[in-house]
Amino acid sequence: MKRNLITLITGAVLIVIFALLLFVFQVRQSEVAVVTTFGKITRVADPGAHLKWPWPIQRVYKFDERTQNFQDKFSENLTADSITLLTSVYVGWRISDPSEFLNSFKDGSVFSAQSQIESMLTSAKSAVVGNHPLADFVNADPNQLEFDQIQAQIEQALQSELHTNSYGIQIEFLGIQQLGLPESVTQAVFDRMKSERNILISRAQNEGQAEAIKIRANADRQANETLADAQAEATRIEGEGVAEAAKTLPVFQKDPGLANFLLSIDAIKQALNQRSTLFFDDRIPPFDLFHGALTNVPGH
Amino acid sequence: MERNVQQHGLVNLVAAVMMFIAAFVVTAYAGSLAGQAASIFLGLGMLVAFVSWFQMRLEENERLEKLEVEELARTRGETALFATKGAEVFPAQRAREQFEKFFVPGFSGLLLLLEGGATWLLWRWLSESTGGLTPDRAMPAMALFGIFALLLFLVGRFSVTMARLENHRLLRPGASFLLAGAYVCFVTALGIGITGVKTELSRLDSWVARAGCVLLGLLAVEMLVTLLLEIYRPRVKGRVARPLYDSRIVGLLAQPEGLFTTALQALDYQFGFKVSETWFFQLLRKSLLVLFLAQLAALLLSTCVVIIEPGEQGVLEHFGRLAAGRPVLEPGAHLKWPWPADEVRRYRTGQIQTFNVGFTPDAQSEAEPTVLWSVVHTKEVNFLVGNPAAATITNSTAGSGDRLKVVSVGLIDISIPVQFQITNVLDWAYHNADPTNLLQELATRAVVHYLAGADLNAVLSQSRVEAARQLEQRIQADANRHQLGVKILFVGVQDLHPPVAVAGDYEKVIGATQQKIALTNAAVAEAIQTNAQAGAQAFADISQAEAGRQQTELAASARAGLFTNQIAAYDAAPSVYGQRAYFHMFPAATANARKYILLVTNTYNVLQFDLEDKIRDDLLNLNVPSTNSP
Repeated sequence: MKRNLITLITGAVLIVIFALLLFVFQVRQSEVAVVTTFGKITRVADPGAHLKWPWPIQRVYKFDERTQNFQDKFSENLTADSITLLTSVYVGWRISDPSEFLNSFKDGSVFSAQSQIESMLTSAKSAVVGNHPLADFVNADPNQLEFDQIQAQIEQALQSELHTNSYGIQIEFLGIQQLGLPESVTQAVFDRMKSERNILISRAQNEGQAEAIKIRANADRQANETLADAQAEATRIEGEGVAEAAKTLPVFQKDPGLANFLLSIDAIKQALNQRSTLFFDDRIPPFDLFHGALTNVPGH
Repeated sequence: MERNVQQHGLVNLVAAVMMFIAAFVVTAYAGSLAGQAASIFLGLGMLVAFVSWFQMRLEENERLEKLEVEELARTRGETALFATKGAEVFPAQRAREQFEKFFVPGFSGLLLLLEGGATWLLWRWLSESTGGLTPDRAMPAMALFGIFALLLFLVGRFSVTMARLENHRLLRPGASFLLAGAYVCFVTALGIGITGVKTELSRLDSWVARAGCVLLGLLAVEMLVTLLLEIYRPRVKGRVARPLYDSRIVGLLAQPEGLFTTALQALDYQFGFKVSETWFFQLLRKSLLVLFLAQLAALLLSTCVVIIEPGEQGVLEHFGRLAAGRPVLEPGAHLKWPWPADEVRRYRTGQIQTFNVGFTPDAQSEAEPTVLWSVVHTKEVNFLVGNPAAATITNSTAGSGDRLKVVSVGLIDISIPVQFQITNVLDWAYHNADPTNLLQELATRAVVHYLAGADLNAVLSQSRVEAARQLEQRIQADANRHQLGVKILFVGVQDLHPPVAVAGDYEKVIGATQQKIALTNAAVAEAIQTNAQAGAQAFADISQAEAGRQQTELAASARAGLFTNQIAAYDAAPSVYGQRAYFHMFPAATANARKYILLVTNTYNVLQFDLEDKIRDDLLNLNVPSTNSP
């Protein structure tokens, strides 16, 4: 009997707990709840514990009241200068009116809302991207960059679209998350970057060769100049020597015949210094001593 | 009494049908995976309850038929007639026999297919499914499954007890399924509840569903074995067989105390005395429920204390609202109301957290000791960056303005680790649904924005430190604007290089620059050599000239001195001096010369010498004309 009583009490407590869970709902600090009675919105509940009739009489739809963010697809659009540009945008949005939000999306589906925002965003983004040249997105001169303006324009377009149709959604912020080029264009950019590098490579190589040639030529020029200067100096010195030597010539003028005779002797001495072949007959001294020693003249 | 069995069977069937439909609806409402498995289990129970109830009806018809026949036989006294033609006069009996012979095995086979098919399909669906429990609906679903569990427990427990009575054996299959269904629903409710409350255990619902899958698989295996054994089972006339569809596993699941009892009997046998009748076991048996409840109470009480670990902060919510007075709990022990009144959410506020922009770390590549531009070392993203150098190049070569803009874009890979710390836990928790992701998006946006307005060459070379400083400022400003409650501690441009596809060409430029320097250096070396040699040669020439000058001067002076003396000698003996000078000179001057002396006197014979050929040293080789020749 006692055991059955415990069992009954346990069962009853459990039923009460489970029933309580059906009649009570909690809304977190970060949430807002919409209560519907037989499908009609009857109240909006703030954070805290609240009572309700169990389903299917009343239903509670809880929504995250915080800013939610998502990133759209990395999609391709044409810029004003007909260049295909891939862009991805992140969006922060918040449920500003839970009742309208619930009416707008089945069961207040956040996923549906996000899809709706994304489709509008795609349209707004295409329009804004098409109004700007690529140089407004990417520019080595930061003053010509219109990044912030483009973001503001997309946000404004999205905001006005949402306001027109009263989705109960507020766009909190929007930013360009990623920029890119299609694969084929990326490859072309790579090719171009390579070609730029090739220019630099060619420049370096040829400049090196040119510089080397210049250095060598300059060195040759300097060497030739040095040698020319030296030769000129040598000639000048030789001339000085000759001039100095010429001062002795009056001595030779005392007996020019002897002087010339002696110069001839010196000249012969120097001329015969190298290997040479001489032919003499018996009239040239000292071979004139042989004169008449041999003859083949008949009858002589 | 027999009528009561049928009624109990019908109650089981109705309960099974209602619970199956209700569980199916709640599962669809909440999107619970565990609910799917529970619904399938209850659906199988419903089929079993239906078949067992139908079999009860057949047995009841047979019993009534027998009573009628006996009554007829007793009133007419023609029992022999019915004894000989039993098959014809006992249609209800024959129907029951036919049912047991054909329908029951057929139904068991169908049950096997359903159990096996459900296991396979559910497991596959669980592996592929991306959906799951809707958090908002977890609490109602948990409550409803809890109520289903209680209702099934009450009905099932009563039926199981009734099934122990004589001639109530057909109640057992359905009753076991109901009671086991109660436990399955209870576990499902627990799984749904915990999944809905604890986001970190969001996979629990799926794990419970997989456990349900395993249970269905075991039932299928058991049914297959039972059907195989049924072929070889000895048929003893008059012995009532256990229905094929009565699962022993379900029975064990519904009445685990049966296993307990069997274990106790084994203990009794092992020890030789009634262990099961000792006070300890009796106390344990009686207090089992109390112990279980005490465990539940202890579990609930344990939720009244929360310990915040070092480096953490907790946010305390009281019935969903921030707890007044102490919304943030610092590290240490804290008291709170039990779940679900108070809940604490923990955040790692002391810990320095890191995320990466522009790359995804790869463990295998990070183990490499060398990081090269030209080798993929992480999964990197190409960022667009301004390229004024390219624009300059194109400006001089292409006239199109559009082309100028196209080529003014470059690509760059950048790896930026960002470290941050949560400084305001309430801002972090309550302003943005996914603050971590938002911070990453803001950081990525800051990097994209910075690079889009930067100069590729400047970024690649000297602007790294400046880039890191600017990025840190921008990310912090964005985080403050979005009330993220974080402090950016570090933004590091740790890896910045051209994409791998062109990195090799950048390295070639460096190689070419080095080659340029090498060529220049070689030329400089040659120039030095040339100039040095030229200088030396010039010095030699001048020195030689100096020497020549000196020699000339000295020689001239000497010769003049000599000549002065020679004049005196000449004047003394003019004829002899000349000859003497000549003969002094002659031997010395002609010492090295080859000399030929022509002593012939015949002037009319001409000797011809071919001096182009080698002249013989020996004069005997000369062809001297003979004296007899004319």
